[in-house]
Amino acid sequence: MTHVVLESCIRCKYTDCVDVCPVDCFREGPNFLTIDPDECIDCAVCIPECPVNAIVPEEDVPGNQQHMIALNAELAKGWPAITRRKPALPDADEWKDRTGKLDELKR
Amino acid sequence: MPIETDAIVVGAGPVGLFQTFYLGLQEVRAHVVDSLPHPGGQCFELYADKPIYDIPALPLCTGRELTERLLRQIEPFATGFHLEQQVSELQPRDDDRFDVATSTGTRFVAKAVVIAGGVGAFQPRRLKLDGLDPHRGTQLFEHAGTLHEHAGRRIVIVGGGEAAVMAAIDAADAGASAPASITLIHRRDDLDATATALERLRELRAAGRVAFLAGQPESIVEDGGRLAALGVLCTDGTTRTVPLDTLFVLLGWSPKLGPIADWGLALERKQLVVDTQRFETSTPGIFAVGDVTIYPGKQKLIVCGFHEATLAAFAIGERVWPDRAQPLQYTTTSTKLHKLLGVSPTLP
Repeated sequence: MTHVVLESCIRCKYTDCVDVCPVDCFREGPNFLTIDPDECIDCAVCIPECPVNAIVPEEDVPGNQQHMIALNAELAKGWPAITRRKPALPDADEWKDRTGKLDELKR
Repeated sequence: MPIETDAIVVGAGPVGLFQTFYLGLQEVRAHVVDSLPHPGGQCFELYADKPIYDIPALPLCTGRELTERLLRQIEPFATGFHLEQQVSELQPRDDDRFDVATSTGTRFVAKAVVIAGGVGAFQPRRLKLDGLDPHRGTQLFEHAGTLHEHAGRRIVIVGGGEAAVMAAIDAADAGASAPASITLIHRRDDLDATATALERLRELRAAGRVAFLAGQPESIVEDGGRLAALGVLCTDGTTRTVPLDTLFVLLGWSPKLGPIADWGLALERKQLVVDTQRFETSTPGIFAVGDVTIYPGKQKLIVCGFHEATLAAFAIGERVWPDRAQPLQYTTTSTKLHKLLGVSPTLP
């Protein structure tokens, strides 16, 4: 089990989650955060921190977002750890309510 | 001299608090250690004003209410609280007891230890700015403890939560020992504190006694080795330089699963492996309950932690009172438990 960051995070990257993670399991890409499934301890502390509700436990990933489970694991391998909150992307507020953002993901 | 006690409970979250209650019913004296300045753990630090709906017989309560109720429940047991310190050493002794030491030098000798450490020890969130760290302890503080020592000085408070808001109010209301000026800085004009506190802050802002700035601190200005000002990128895109004598960074606390991993106990996915009969770790005499544990079927729920703490209390009772039978007694009818609780109910 792990927790998974869903598409809602893409182009927003608010990073509130990062500050509360007790095991520093978030990894940072250009416009998305991911959770390293090998480090996550399922404490769920990050879930209420996300302003766009992008984080869910693995078993609650909706059917149309199942690909995000493997994508989190894959991206986590190549991206550096982020352990402190930083400002969200400048146009985060414009993107936060949009769906179908997967094509916007930068690796 | 170390404090001699029956049990040490590591963590004052809801499960640690209930642990001390059930230990009390087993006549096991306990001391509680926690890294935060107040009991309640995550419930107080992360969920103080957020609703909880799954506590048995409490259809709705906040983290703060749950903490207050638990504190009232454990009152009969005069638990010793040791706050703002982290258990840093845990060593078995030759006499089947444990040496326990904290980060601030408190020492205990205990017959049993219960780790109710949740997701780890809460540590103050720091402001990372180039050159700021050397000022810690002289001009930079990450707690409001020395707030009243700054009469006549210019103080800046960074943070948007209850701690920061209360510090601004307390400083402004300090009468003769009030600072010369108080500036509260948060990344946006959206503060998170109780309605009463926010109302008082509104009054103080209107009266010009607290200045508020929405923005992100991004640099420091030094003058002859002293911290002289904070450079702030404001939400309107401008950069402002805020002169100061003292900087309080009150950004709240975040948990870190710290030294628990170094105590030689069996771990799985960074959590403590326990049996589900006694909730004992791989070291006899060291127990673990709540979110810090892992076992088949474990669910990280407060109610599961209460169950774990109850069974651990019986196992610890056996350890502390090896020659005494432990018949199950109910708080409703047992005169022995009534005595321990300091109550004398009239039964119909």
